Amino acid sequence: MIARWNLKSSATLSKLAPYALPLAILFIVTMFSIAEPAFLKPENLIGIIHQMNLIGIMAVAMTFVIMTGGVDLSVGPVLAISGLTAFFAMDAGLGLPIAIAAALGVGILIGTINGTLISIFGLPPIIVTLAMLSVVRGLALIWGGPEWHLIRDQDAFTFIGTGHIGGISFSIILLLVFAGAVMFVQKRTPIGLMVAGIGENERAAYLSGHRVRLTKIAIYGLSGMGAALAGIVQSSQVHTSAAVYGEFGTELDVIAAIVLGGTSLMGGKGSIGRTLMGVIFLGVINNGMNILNVTLDIQLITKGVIIVLAMALSELA
Amino acid sequence: MDAGHLIEARGLGKTYGNLAVLIDANFTVNAGEIRALVGSNGAGKSTLIKILTGAIVPTTGTVKVDGKELVLGSPTEMINSGIACIYQHSNLAPAMTVLDNIFLGRQPTKRFGLLDRKRQRREAEELLQRHAIQIDLDALVSTLPTVKQKEVEILKALALNARILLMDEPTGWLAASDVAKLHATIRTLKSSGVAIVYISHMLDEIFAVCDTVTVMRDGRIISEGKVADITRPRLVKLMVGEKLANDSAQAGKHKRMARGIGKVRLSANGLTKRGVFSDISFDLFAGEIFCITGLIGSKRTEFLHTLFGSDKFDSGEMKVDGKVISFKSPTQAISNGMGFVTEDRHREGLMLGLSISNNLVMATLRKFHKFGLLKHKEIYSATGEMIADLNIQPPDPIKPVRLLSGGNQQKVLLGKWLNLKPKILLLDEPTVGVDVGAKAEIYAILRAERDKGAAILVVSSDLEEVMTISDRIAVMVSGRLVAIHDADKTTLSEIIGEIGGAAQ
Amino acid sequence: MLRRPASIALLAFFLVTMGLFCLFAPNFATASNFENLMSGFSFVAILAMGQSFPILLRGIDLSIGAMVALAGMVAFDLTMLFHVPGYLILPLVLIAATSAGALNGILIVYLRLQPFIATLATLAAYRGVVYAISGRLLIPKLATTPITDPWIVGIETYFDIGGALGISDYVHLPWFPLSFFLMIAIFITFQVLLLSTKLGRDIYTVGGNQEAARLAGINTRRITILTYAISGFCAGVAALVLVARLTTSTEALGTGMELTAISAAVIGGVSLQGGIGSMFGPVIGAFLLGVVLIGLTLLGASQYVQQILTGAILLAAVCYDRYLVVQRQRRAAANIGANT
Repeated sequence: MIARWNLKSSATLSKLAPYALPLAILFIVTMFSIAEPAFLKPENLIGIIHQMNLIGIMAVAMTFVIMTGGVDLSVGPVLAISGLTAFFAMDAGLGLPIAIAAALGVGILIGTINGTLISIFGLPPIIVTLAMLSVVRGLALIWGGPEWHLIRDQDAFTFIGTGHIGGISFSIILLLVFAGAVMFVQKRTPIGLMVAGIGENERAAYLSGHRVRLTKIAIYGLSGMGAALAGIVQSSQVHTSAAVYGEFGTELDVIAAIVLGGTSLMGGKGSIGRTLMGVIFLGVINNGMNILNVTLDIQLITKGVIIVLAMALSELA
Repeated sequence: MDAGHLIEARGLGKTYGNLAVLIDANFTVNAGEIRALVGSNGAGKSTLIKILTGAIVPTTGTVKVDGKELVLGSPTEMINSGIACIYQHSNLAPAMTVLDNIFLGRQPTKRFGLLDRKRQRREAEELLQRHAIQIDLDALVSTLPTVKQKEVEILKALALNARILLMDEPTGWLAASDVAKLHATIRTLKSSGVAIVYISHMLDEIFAVCDTVTVMRDGRIISEGKVADITRPRLVKLMVGEKLANDSAQAGKHKRMARGIGKVRLSANGLTKRGVFSDISFDLFAGEIFCITGLIGSKRTEFLHTLFGSDKFDSGEMKVDGKVISFKSPTQAISNGMGFVTEDRHREGLMLGLSISNNLVMATLRKFHKFGLLKHKEIYSATGEMIADLNIQPPDPIKPVRLLSGGNQQKVLLGKWLNLKPKILLLDEPTVGVDVGAKAEIYAILRAERDKGAAILVVSSDLEEVMTISDRIAVMVSGRLVAIHDADKTTLSEIIGEIGGAAQ
Repeated sequence: MLRRPASIALLAFFLVTMGLFCLFAPNFATASNFENLMSGFSFVAILAMGQSFPILLRGIDLSIGAMVALAGMVAFDLTMLFHVPGYLILPLVLIAATSAGALNGILIVYLRLQPFIATLATLAAYRGVVYAISGRLLIPKLATTPITDPWIVGIETYFDIGGALGISDYVHLPWFPLSFFLMIAIFITFQVLLLSTKLGRDIYTVGGNQEAARLAGINTRRITILTYAISGFCAGVAALVLVARLTTSTEALGTGMELTAISAAVIGGVSLQGGIGSMFGPVIGAFLLGVVLIGLTLLGASQYVQQILTGAILLAAVCYDRYLVVQRQRRAAANIGANT
């Protein structure tokens, strides 16, 4: 029955597809504001963006990975270990720039290892990053132990997560700048075309002279870097770092946001702008459900259902 | 003869929109007959086969087996009435035994769905005995040589009580000695009353094993008769059409540029890849179109990949502009000015979901950026020009390539490499699945590139194409170059003779 | 298929590893340690066998951890809230888990989702259902009340085989947990299913060459749904074992178990390329993991090191799987080459 419906309306569907997400956001915002007028208050709307800040950074960074038909399940522990790196670096008296560089470096390193295993050895991305999830979490726990590490007297570091510039919080600026940079790479440099090409047809990209393996290693590196950046922001926001941050399920939110943005898991299609829209969509839903006092259980179920629906719809269109 | 037709198809036709791919085909085969079905690409063979296997429903016509009319368009109905098809690609489960593959999906069972191994083995052994085929039932299919895998596929069909066996290019992956083995198997099948439809481009094989032959061209059955009553040149002429014979006589109209402007661009010296091709030597000159022709499966595609660096050769020497070089990757080949229009444009050529414009710049991104930034304006103007030059329809740079016709897709693929302004351009079957109009346009583009001094190497099985565009022609048979001719000093029949192995 | 040489190699590797730990890890070669090994990893072996079915079809099931929690919570609710007798609870729990698995298969087949995204989504959704139906959250007092139903806690029974055979005076045999025998029963059932039934042949066929299977008239959709249902069923059995041991259930039950189960299956030679593998491998794979993890604990490694090692072993296993695939391709190429 689904298949028949699909045949008849697929033309209309594919025409509507680009507008589906903004329309869905609009619809849900309207629904929530009718149900609970407090939803539309500016503080709340800013709150949405705050809540989605970390997911946003990671989703932007992982979009290229998803575009090439891969996935990075290891972002949660990478987030944790990068926060720890920043903490230990500052604890050891190193300057802020070095601490941040070290934290980002750890993320890039882990991402690069993922990318190497996937592109050079031809291992499946799901398994590699699932294994890495376990390895990195274990490393983080050995290194940082199960306890929270309080970050004290690091005003500059604290500013990253809690500071404001011109009334806008710095972490949001950071997300926008990061997204802008990646968007720039996608739209204005050959890398964007190469990523789309690899996602569409890896063999053809190789035969067109693209350095497919190198590109794939780099984009997993970028995904690792995004997770590391998110780790820095989080540690700064909550003044602590811990090995248990980025708990199981973080990667699910990130993938959900990207997929909701219309990036196909089969590779090829995708854009940073739409990923951001997917992040907002997910944020609105999370926030709306919180405001309406929807319990955690229903939230989880809703998330699962939304992913399935989004994927099924993109299959149909 | 009318009495005992095992299979009888009357008035079969198939149209897609305005396009008729099969027109009023009458096709009958008797028990114990080996029928060759020949024709060039797009002649309608595969449509006929798809109707007989139930993969598609014909627009008109009927099919009877043993005088009983069949419901068309149902694979199960076809299988139940005894029609089975052995496809070019393997339809076996490689990690399972021969025994299991013979009964794939319908192993005999006892109560509770438990396998009846004894019965399975007994039936298989009976089958082997009845058709005098020898094979180890317990071997894993993946460990068998290819010819044995084909036999497993045949046994699989026979286990379904198939009486009409359609074989699509059954020897595509086989060596000559194995072809003989397969033919022996086919003859034993014939003697046990199975009718065989043998679809092949290999003339040798048709004359070796078939009783009768049906020739198709442009969607019609144009001739039928006993193999014994026909000569090779006559058969080839029927396949390619009288028009080609005339055309090739007129082909002299185009200026032939054998050895181009006299400068050797690419030279191959004894290139060998073990088990694939061996000892290939030739010089490719700037300003000429050099065609390598031969039958499908003569390893020409594999050869092009080794030139382009997407595969390696084992021994021999390759020179570009006089320098000994072997490309380690396509990247290196491209930076040396070599382009490669791959055969399978969907699998290896285009990014179907991306726009015309993006596809056109895919191989030449380095030309279109400065300090790592894309020069969108230049991309826009360059792709605009290319679209106009190649007459790509619709001329809309942001249209996804998926939505274009085959001919226009092929032009995009060609344009991608022309953007490189290639010094050496390799093309593999450049006009497969391309309509006549686009074909002519592609030929004109290639001639123009040649006249600008590019060295063009075309691999093609389409003799009409080869006779039309080439300045020199090489013939490849089973991984070896058997002859190289100047195009204006050879004839179609000479080339056909060499392809058919008349020299042997 | 049961590749005998590979299975023997795996078994040999397992025995050697165990031998090494017996020699070097303190208290490893004791009856109580083997008791721990059997009770701690029998359910992992069950999960690994379940996971093998989707993998045989080139799929994956990331939701088994959530399904374990779901089945556990269903058992908890039925006994604590509704006081359903145990002999009814056992089949009901298994039905619930099997349906959850079948739903994965249905999403994959009818919505044409990739297995990993479908099961990632249901991982979240099932975990949500667990919170939604949690009797512990509804009546907090229940969280500290142990389950006493004899049918459920009866699963956590140990048998003194040595004593029964009257040889305990000579050898000190470990007591065998019931879960070990459950595992053996499931092993035999599935092994027979795979190797000796038409259904088993069909599963291998779909996994090895889906197109060939379709042309051979096999209902590939039904087979796909069935494999995910089996994975769910195994999650249900594992949940019962865990609930019996803990005498309660938690919302977090089974978290991360997909990792262990996939590792065990891949270590056991179930190829991610589909169509290759049997039940023997995953069982050995699970106990190999168990031996390594327990052995390392006895040698003083922290649980964090174990976590790292689980990941590392999984990586090693996929590398090995990949290596075998490349070998097969080489051989196939050589086959063609040798004939030319």
